[in-house]
Order: sequence, then C-alpha cells, then structure tokens
Amino acid sequence: MKGLVLKDLMCLRKQLIIFGYVVVGVLVLSVMFVLSARFGNIAMANQAMVATEDLSASDIADLSTNVLILFMLLPLATVGDFANVFTEDGKAGFFNVSSILPVSIKNRVLAKYVTIFAMFGIGAFIDIIIAFVLSMLTDIISFTDFLGIITSATSVMAIYSALVIVFCFLFGYGKEDYARLISPFLMLVTAISLNFSNIRKSITAGDIELINRCMNFIKHKSYVLLLIAVFVMVVSYFVSVRIAERKRGIV
Amino acid sequence: MEEIKSVVELKDVTKDYGDFKLNQVSFTVPEGSVCGFIGQNGAGKTTTIKLMLDVIKADEGEIRLFGESIGKDSARLREDIGVVFDEMGFHEFMTGRDINIMMKNIYKNWDEDVFFDYLKRFSLPTRKKCGDFSRGMRMKLQIAVALSHHAKLLIMDEPTSGLDPIVRNEMIQIFREFVIEEDHTILLSSHITGDLEKLADEVVFINAGKIVLAGNKDDILEKHGLLKCKKSELEKISEPLIVNVAPGTFGVEVLVNDRKACEKLYPQMVIEPASLEDIMLFYVNKDSKNVGNMTAETD
Repeated sequence: MKGLVLKDLMCLRKQLIIFGYVVVGVLVLSVMFVLSARFGNIAMANQAMVATEDLSASDIADLSTNVLILFMLLPLATVGDFANVFTEDGKAGFFNVSSILPVSIKNRVLAKYVTIFAMFGIGAFIDIIIAFVLSMLTDIISFTDFLGIITSATSVMAIYSALVIVFCFLFGYGKEDYARLISPFLMLVTAISLNFSNIRKSITAGDIELINRCMNFIKHKSYVLLLIAVFVMVVSYFVSVRIAERKRGIV
Repeated sequence: MEEIKSVVELKDVTKDYGDFKLNQVSFTVPEGSVCGFIGQNGAGKTTTIKLMLDVIKADEGEIRLFGESIGKDSARLREDIGVVFDEMGFHEFMTGRDINIMMKNIYKNWDEDVFFDYLKRFSLPTRKKCGDFSRGMRMKLQIAVALSHHAKLLIMDEPTSGLDPIVRNEMIQIFREFVIEEDHTILLSSHITGDLEKLADEVVFINAGKIVLAGNKDDILEKHGLLKCKKSELEKISEPLIVNVAPGTFGVEVLVNDRKACEKLYPQMVIEPASLEDIMLFYVNKDSKNVGNMTAETD
C-alpha cells in the first residue's frame, strides 16, 4: 500500500512544486505583514486608532489580517485537489497495473485516503509554522485563533476531498471535473440549507452579524468542523470501498 | 512417481456478459510448464486471465492458483504472480527508478538488483520517462517488473504482439530462462502461434468462450494432421476423423484428429503434420465451413 501512496504523491508532483512556490510566496507576504504590523501602515493604523478612536482604522488592520489569513490558506488549497491522481491514473490505464498487485481493493482505496492525509499534513504543518511565527512577532491575532482557522480550513478541504474521491470512484476515469464541480456545490447547498433561516434574517436586517458569527465559529469552534470532516471521511471511505469492490477496483 | 502439481486450475468457469459468454471453461496448467493459451481476438483469453487474477468475478465455477481457491485471498496469491499485459499501464512521467520505488514498497520479495539488471540487459534507461519508450521497450519494462519479485507464475496476455521478430525472439529467450527453475510456470496467451510452437509444452485453445482443445502440445500436434485430397475423395473419409475442411490449392485440405488412423485407413492420401496455426484456423472456422457444407458442394 505504501508504494501506491508514493505513486499518488508522484502523480501530484506538479502540485507539490506549485505548493513550494506558494509557500515561498506566503512566507514573503508574512514577512511583509510583520514589518507592516510593526513599523508600516498597519502599525500606523493602529496608532491612529488609539489616538483618534477612529474605528475605520481598526477595520484596516482587521482587513489586512483577513487577507493574510486567506493567503496563508493558499498552501492548503494547493495540495487539496486530489482529483488529479484519478486523472493521471485514467490516462495511464493504471488499473492494468493496480489490479495485478498484491494489494486488496480495500487497501487500494485506503492508499488514496492516506495520500490525502499526507498532503493535508504537509499543508497544515507549514501553515501552523507560519501561524506560530506570525503570532510570536505580531499581536494582531493569537496563535489559538490562527490554529482555529487552519483547523477549519483543513476540515473544509478534507470534506471537499472526501466527496471528490467518492464521486471519482462513482463516475470513473475521465470524469474528475464533474466530481470537482458537484462536491463544492453539494457542500454549499448543505451549508446554506442548515443555516437558511439565519442567512435570511441577516439579509433582511442588512447587517454583517452573520459574517462575524461565521468568523467566530471558524476561529473558536473549529473542532465542530473537524468532527464533521472526520465523519465525512469515514463515511466516504466505506462508500468508496463499496463502489470500488462493486466495480472490482476499476474506477 | 511424484504427482505433477497444477499451478492453475479452472473448473467449469462461466462468465456471462450477455453478448459474450465464457462457457464452462476447464483446464489446468502443470507446474514447471509453459502453457500456450491460444485463440483468435475476442475468443475469451483476456477474460479468462482476468478471472484468474480475480480482476473480475466468475458467475460459476472454481479457480485455484497454487492449489488455493482465489476467492479467499487473491491479493496474497498475486505476490507470486508476474503479469504482463499488452498495454503498459505505468504513468508516462514515471522512470525506471520511480517504478522501482513504487514496487519495492508493494512486493515483499521485490529485488531491486534483479530489476536494474533486467533494465540494463534490456538497454532500458533508468532515468528516461517511460512515456518516451517505444512499444518494445514498454513491453520489456513490464517483463522486467514481472520478473523482479521472484514470481513463480508468469501470466502474459499477448506480450509479443506488435513487436518485431528480433525483440520477440529476445522475449522468448527470457521466458525460456525463466522456466529453467523447476517451480516456474508460464501461461502465455497469444494468437501468434509461431511463438508458442517454439516455447510451449502445453496448449489450451479457446474459441468463442469455449475450450476446444487442451493438453500437451506435442500430443496435439502428433494427433492432428492435414490431409490433402480431391473434393470427390472427401466422402470416403470417416466423418468422426474430420475436424474441418477447407479449400486447398488442388482440391481440399482436411484437418483430421487422428493422423495415425488416417494414415492406416487412407494410405493413398497425403497427410502432413499440422501446425498450431492450422489447427487454430480449422477449429475456428469449424462452425461456418463444416464438412457437411463441403460434401454438399461436392454432391
């Protein structure tokens, strides 16, 4: 099985190279952010806020923090798209090889999930290091809040990947784009359906309370998303195994 | 006397696809032999191989590899099997080194020294992407993989098709070396009967999903004969001896299933040894151009 994980990582080689570039980019941005937060515009905005009690200056600092968080999540997003493995396997006709290996169908499916965890592990690890350094050097956001954001982002990406894998197994080779489209759509529909009344109230009232609540949820209740991600992953694995066994490993 | 073990055993195996049916297929492959699995395209060779490897499930019947039923633990059994398909299946960006990394983490008995020795012997570059390999090189790469985990059974599906005669001979030489070990067995599916005639000890002939002939190659070749006669002489030949009749250069050619009996019964007629290709062709065309039709034409 380990060999199949290595093969999947080889398939994602290009993505890993892009990941490297993105990490470098995020590191540069982080350094710039730290410098700005200490000596530049963000620091000045903070000083202005303190001096004039002008709330708009505080918004600037918040805004820049949010932008940085978005940039920080880029490494995760880069490694999160797993459908490329299916595309590469389909192009090569790898089924001819995998079906003759001394690896059961269950383990062949499991190898895909292990690869996802390996990729997310790399992405999350890098993000945590950046978050740790940033929280040490600036006092705009705490490490705990950063950790919450990273956990939430990893969980959302894990849910997305879990759905993508199931759909890739279900649709078969060459239909990865459908899996890529249907998965986020399904996630969005579920999220909207579960919060429909809150969204309606917020739109009717015309306030940004919902966004603030969302941000708070992401920062402080990320464990809920993590639990959902674990549950979806487990269900996705068993469904994928069932589909793969029905198709005798041909996806 | 020591009993000959069967490495592959198929008993009444049936697989129905609706438009194609593998019907009650039964044969065995003795340990240490080279078994040629012949039949025209679409006869059911690849389906049978896929059933053996548990890639697809049989509707009925039993398949045993190394004396064990495949249903229980087919993945473990595949540890001792090397497989070569007519299409490569490795990713085009992969190099010999990448394949080695992957395989040594899959096969317990993977021997990277053997693998790199084969790559060297086949003049396959280890750092070149296999997408840039020619068909012959791709086939050699597959064979190198199949032989590098100390497999006891080599199953090959049309490994020599589309290759030039020099590469084909090279392959056949490698297969010969493989079966020098007493417990090594080869099941070689092909429609190129010339290769099998050089290499095979046993022959299994499949046509339209049914096993037509199975047994020792020399026995099959010895039993069958190609009788050449005039159309008018055809009715003299005993019908149970005739497999099929085909028009020849100066009359008709008849494939007979008991050459010695024919030689005794019809000493005036010319009976030549039949090749595997002759046997295959006559059996394949048996339903469409049978003796009944030919005798009717003669009348």
